Amino acid sequence: MKKTLKIINELKNKNLIDDYAIGGGIAALFYIEPFLTYDLDIFITLPSKEKEKKLIVLSPIFDYLKKKGYSWKEEHIIVEGIPVQFIPADELEEEAMNNAKTIEYEGIETKVVNPEYLIAILIRAGRKKDLEKVEKLLVQTEIDKKKLNDILHCYGLKKKFKFKL
Amino acid sequence: MLNEESKEKKIIIVENRAITRRELFERKEQFHKEQAKLPFEEKIKILVNMQKIVSGIKGDSEKTMIWKIY
Repeated sequence: MKKTLKIINELKNKNLIDDYAIGGGIAALFYIEPFLTYDLDIFITLPSKEKEKKLIVLSPIFDYLKKKGYSWKEEHIIVEGIPVQFIPADELEEEAMNNAKTIEYEGIETKVVNPEYLIAILIRAGRKKDLEKVEKLLVQTEIDKKKLNDILHCYGLKKKFKFKL
Repeated sequence: MLNEESKEKKIIIVENRAITRRELFERKEQFHKEQAKLPFEEKIKILVNMQKIVSGIKGDSEKTMIWKIY
């Protein structure tokens, strides 16, 4: 995964993306016990000039990766052996990204979405497997309850949150 | 829901050690919490091993992705 993260950092250094953070299952894996998952979800924001456009255009990223020899598999691009999905961040995901935790993975700096935001994103998705992760996050990692409450409130997710805090 | 008596009922495990149901489940929970504290790099290694196991069971490596990172 070190090489994959290096390439993603390269996208940021080359200004193809403005910023990114690891989300989804791999972000959950950072906080909870190991479980099976297959893809690496990366929330991204685009450079400001791209943001102004009405359409989200990811082709410069994919062109760059294609030139480096990376191939497609369904909706993923396989970067150094890992299927990566680039997800243009919506409002909640962008806030999650801006508040993400900076970590080092085998010496490579990267960012992982905080557990409170991760819970909100999972609650919003609301599938059974998402809610299972929420349950584990609440038990297996330290959660800032006030922060979580604020996020849930801000994004209208309080009613969907059926867990005991 | 188990009543208090059931929770405190002793279970004999290896080497004739006795623990209660309550202790058994507390230990299980503790184990999961400890697994959650493993270094991220270690968790990724475990994940890849899980992917290999699933692929082995399914016998369908074309459709079951294994991260090729090692």
